[in-house]
Formats: sequence, structure tokens, C-alpha cells
Amino acid sequence: MKQTDLWKSASKAQWDKGMTMIKIENLHASVDGKKILKGINLEIGAGEIHAIMGPNGSGKSTLSNIIAGRDGYEVTAGSITYKGKDLLDMEPEERAWEGVFLAFQYPVEIPGVNNTYMLKAGVNAKRKHQGEQELDAIDFMQLVKAKAKLVELDQSFLSRGVNEGFSGGEKKRNEIFQMAVLEPSLALLDETDSGLDIDALRIVANGVNHLRREDRSIIMVTHYQRLLDYIEPDFVHVLADGQILKSGDKSLALELESRGYDWVKEEEADRIKAA
Amino acid sequence: MSVLTPDHKMKLPGGPALQTLRQQAAGAYARTGLPGKRDEDWKYTDISRMTAALGESWWLTSETSTATDTNNLATIDAVDGYKMIFMDGRFEAQQSNLPSGVQLLPLSELLAKDDSKSAHCLFKLDESAPLFNGLLAANSALATDGLCACIGDGVQLDKPLYVVHVGNNTAHTLNGLMLGKGAKATLIEHFIGTDSDTAALSNIATYLRLAENSALTHYRLQLESDKQFHIGRVEVKQARDSRYTLHAVELGSALSRADIVVDLAETGASCALNGLFVASGRQHIDHHTRIDHNAPHCRSRENYRTVLDGRSHAVFNGKIVVAEGAIKTDSAQSNGNLLLSKNAEIDTKPELEIYNDDVKCAHGVTVGQLDKNQLFYLKSRGLSEEEARQLLTFAFADEILVAMDIKAVRSFIEKEAFAKLPNMSDLEGMLT
Ligand SMILES: Nc1ncnc2c1ncn2[C@@H]1O[C@H](COP(=O)(O)OP(=O)(O)O)[C@@H](O)[C@H]1O
Ligand SMILES: [Mg+2]
Repeated sequence: MKQTDLWKSASKAQWDKGMTMIKIENLHASVDGKKILKGINLEIGAGEIHAIMGPNGSGKSTLSNIIAGRDGYEVTAGSITYKGKDLLDMEPEERAWEGVFLAFQYPVEIPGVNNTYMLKAGVNAKRKHQGEQELDAIDFMQLVKAKAKLVELDQSFLSRGVNEGFSGGEKKRNEIFQMAVLEPSLALLDETDSGLDIDALRIVANGVNHLRREDRSIIMVTHYQRLLDYIEPDFVHVLADGQILKSGDKSLALELESRGYDWVKEEEADRIKAA
Repeated sequence: MSVLTPDHKMKLPGGPALQTLRQQAAGAYARTGLPGKRDEDWKYTDISRMTAALGESWWLTSETSTATDTNNLATIDAVDGYKMIFMDGRFEAQQSNLPSGVQLLPLSELLAKDDSKSAHCLFKLDESAPLFNGLLAANSALATDGLCACIGDGVQLDKPLYVVHVGNNTAHTLNGLMLGKGAKATLIEHFIGTDSDTAALSNIATYLRLAENSALTHYRLQLESDKQFHIGRVEVKQARDSRYTLHAVELGSALSRADIVVDLAETGASCALNGLFVASGRQHIDHHTRIDHNAPHCRSRENYRTVLDGRSHAVFNGKIVVAEGAIKTDSAQSNGNLLLSKNAEIDTKPELEIYNDDVKCAHGVTVGQLDKNQLFYLKSRGLSEEEARQLLTFAFADEILVAMDIKAVRSFIEKEAFAKLPNMSDLEGMLT
């Protein structure tokens, strides 16, 4: 059997705990000739939650955007393998059909495009891709209403334009609502916690916890340890200056909270000197 | 060639008095000729494209008109209205069921039976009228048929007048609609083509008179074939407190030009002009609108949206003239343009002439492309590039579409203009 055929049969199976969901190897990327990612290595197993922390401008959103397929980034070296397939080879919509979901740091407003309308088109495109029957309006509305409850999103948001006139917190909640509807295998939450007050944070975290599954992996990009009190990660990584400098368990997040990022950078500098 | 010589095939209805009016119009054409690039109002629209396709005697009806299957026309079947069909500019009586309590006749019949000359006013040209041109003169000289309707005082028409013009041959059509005091009506003019390969011209003039406190909603839907040329003029005269709403949709034809001329003649009259162009290929669409605020306390609203793909070219010129005595004028104009291709072109120009200080006049123009961030957002949710583009384009046109109060017309236009959208109509009514 050829390598690709092997993967084809594998992709039919559930992506269960212990299997690799996504593997990023030596990823280098630049924007307008400026190097931003400088050799990222990261492997995430099915069912795992990884937190990526790091100072502003370190490349966290760049990494999320490259995984989701936004253009404007030049990958100069390295690879991303998702469910055994070359992710960088796929269009953004194909990635969505294959189960990649990005909760945007800054969700864009799309006046005139109805929130539910967009989701129905997305869900049915995905189902079609997977050879499943498309949902009709009645089934879809049932699904959507149930998911809206999960993130305590008022039903009135369903009939509004995508993020149109939403407050910062409402936009973030809408992202998690969409995640719930689209049921991704790999969810990237880019600073979903920033701009949320404590009640909204609890609601959003609650929603995410409900969406934890053995066959679903989550990457949480955040500045703050606070989110990790609600959603417990399996691993924590420090991304600084385009590289993952340190990885550990959730105690690393606590250490970062009290000591900041500089000591990680210094450690890395010392390591390089010693080498 | 500047002499309009109707051939023997063009039977021009009307008695001697009318023939005199026709000759006067032909004379006006001989003096004016076709509009050219020298005319400021035709700077961006090259009518030689039409004469190149139709020949020197562009006004003539072709000898070999292909028969059209009238049962197979792309009409809006869901519209519940009084339907009338004009085929190649001639009324097909058996197609239509006319309302009672309203005077309504095809022009040809009216001219044949009427000695009182009530339709003659439609043929009288005012060469000093805004945007007057030779094509309008040719229309008066050669018009064979059209719709003549009179909605009496206080009559509220229960269903829209749905007038279908099938243009697979050159036709000059003249329509007149009068609304009496307090009358209320909806007129749908639907221009459709057939898949005939011959180039043809639809030269259509529509005169609308709104008496005191009457209200007219006017749909003007141009979906002719890409071999056709469409020249239109809508002239509206509004009395005290009358209300006119236009929904102008331009989807078809190779070249389409419409002049919309509104005279807010008396206190308290108001008009709203909504326009939507969706063009691609080498289509050329041009609307010149002219609103005259000639009395105090009148209100005008204008909102045009154009969506241009391929090498299409659109022109929008919105002129508003506020007369000296027209105090408390309230006018707003907005024109948004979406260019889907870098070869598409828009020439847009608001023109305001204001002769008193006590007015509110707002206007704004935008020209842009689809937003990359919005496109990526939709694709990241699983919409294909094509679906995402269509959805955003649709959203851009949404303001004009939602203003259409007849649902059957609106869904028809949505389908015609945005064919590639995933089916979503089943969600309707489920969202509150
Ligand atoms: N489109 C872009 N054009 C130019 N520079 C960019 C662009 N996107 C990101 N950058 C730069 O890349 C670096 C990393 O940005 P980003 O990934 O947003 O960081 P983070 O999310 O960690 O705060 C920053 O220096 C930022 O200015
Ligand atoms: Mg960021």
C-alpha cells in the first residue's frame, strides 16, 4: 500500500487518545520578508489541551493563522502534518472540512451576512465533504439552539449579522458558540480570554470544558494564567521571539505568572552560550 | 443617418393629429441625432456600440423576428398581480386579465379607438427637459405600443400591475400611468429577453403622474439577454404629498442606459430611488438620475449599489437640483460600488445644485473590493471561496434587496443575481 492510501484508511478511524493530531516541525515563517517564526516544533496528541503563552508580538497569532490557512505568511521552512496529511497544502476551507477551527483573536464583523446562515453553509459543506447528508433547516436550528445554550448565548444573536455590533465579550462567546456547532477536531483559541470579565470568562471556559473530548485537541493561546484556572491544560509552552523556549505542565504557567517571561529567555541564552 | 424612416412593416398607430406629433419628434431627432461623447451626459456611455451591432438604421424592427413561446417566458410566476405581456413591443391580449375599476388599455388600442386624444400628451416632447436626447425623440416618433393606465381618485389597487416586456426584436415602447388623488398602486416593469441571437433594442419611455397624496411603488427589472440594448427613460411628476418609490434592478443586456427624472413639483412630495446593478463580462450599465426639488418640504432618498465583475463598466450620475423656493428640502444620496475584478470600472458622480440655504443634502460614494479578512473568516468556517465571495457580494446588495416589499420579486432577483449561493431560503422564518 502506498503511504497516502495508508493515511486515507487511517483518517477514517477516530483520532483517539495517543494518536498524533498535529505535528509541527521546524516551522519558519515570515511576513513581508520579516522573520517571525524561527523553528517551531510542536506535537499534539488527540484529546490533549496545550496552552501557548508568551509576550506580545512573539508570534502566537502568526502560528494560529498559519495553521488555519490565512494568506500573507510565507512558510520558508518546515512542515505541518495534520491527521497525517500535509496541512500547508490545503485551502482554508478544506482545513475547516477536515476539522480545523480557529477562534479569532479579533473576530471580524460581517454586516449583512447572517450568523446562522454562515454556520449552516459551513456545517453542510463539511458534512458534504465527509460524505454525510446535509442538515435541513429544522434539524440545523435544533442543533444551533442547543449549542447557543451551552455558551449562554442569547438566541437573538442567531439572527444577527456575523459579529455585527457585538461587544468584545460577545464576539468571543460567538467564536466558542461556532466551535460548538462546527465540532472541530483541532480548535485554536487565540486569546479567547482577553477582554472577558470574570463572569464571561467562566461561561466561555465552561463551554470549552463541555467540548473536551478524547478525539478533539485544543490549542489555547493566552497571556494569562487566569484562563488556565478554568481550563486545565495538559501542557504549557512558552513562545518567545518565534521559538518555543520551554515546555512543561501547568505549573509552568504559575511560574510564568509570578516571574514573567524574561527568565525563560535568559535560560535560553545561557543554554546557547553553554552549547 | 439622421432621418428616421420607418419601414412599411412598422405600422405606426394613431390618427392624423398624432402623426403630426410623430413628425415633430422625427424632426427633433433629425436635429439632435444620437447622443455622442461630446454630450456631458453621455461621456462614459458609447452608443456607437449599439449602432455597430444594429446597423445604420438601428431603429428598425427586424424582418425575421423569431417566434417566442409565450408559455415559456422567464416571468416571476410567484407574483400575484395583473399581468400583461408585450411581445416585441406589441400587446398580447390573451395573456392578461385586466383589473376592474381601473382604466387600463394598451396604447395601440387606445390610439385606435380614442378620438379624445388622451394619449397624445405622451408623444409631446419637451426638448428642454432634463436629459432629453435623440433616443427619446425616436421613441415618440416610432412608439407602437405600451401600457396606458389611469388609477382613479382614492383607488387602492389590491394587486400589482405586472407588465412583462419581451424584447427579442427592436421595439419603441411608450407607457403612461396616472394616479388620482389618494390612489395607491404598484407597477412592476419586467424586461426580459429570449435566447435569440439577434441584437435588438428596447427603447422604453415611462411617464408617471402622481396626483395629490397618491403613492406609487415602481419596480423596474431589466434582465434582457446579452445581445440586447436597453434604453429607458422614467419621468415622474409628483403633486403635493405624493410618494414615489423606485426599485431599479439592472442585471441583463449588453448596454443599458436609463434616465430617471423626478420632478418634486409640490409641497411635501417625496421619492426614494433604490438601484442595484450586477454586471459581468463586457456589460455596460448607466443610470443618470435627476431629482428636482421644486417645492418646499420635499424629501428625496437615493441609494444605488453596483456589483461589477469581469470587464463590466457602470456609470452612476445622480443630479439633485434644489430650487430657490424649495426650503426645508431633505435629500440624501448614497452610491456604493463593489469591484470584483480589477478590470471592472465605475464612473460615479454626485451633482448637487442648490439655490437656497435652508436645505439638508447628504451624499456619499464608496468604491471598494471584497474584504480579505471577511473572506478568510468565512472560509475558515468551511465556505468555499466562491460561496464566500457570493455571500459577501450578496451582503453588499442586501440594503437594496431588503427594501423590496414584494417577497416574490425579491427572491427572484436574489436567485437571478446570486445563483451560486448555497440554498438558505429554508432558514427564513426560523430566525426571529
Ligand atoms: N500582517 C503582518 N504584517 C507585518 N507584521 C506582522 C503581521 N502580522 C504579524 N506581524 C508581526 O509579527 C510579529 C508577531 O505577531 P503576532 O503573531 O500577532 O504576535 P502575538 O500574537 O504573539 O502577539 C509582530 O512583531 C507583528 O508586528
Ligand atoms: Mg496575538
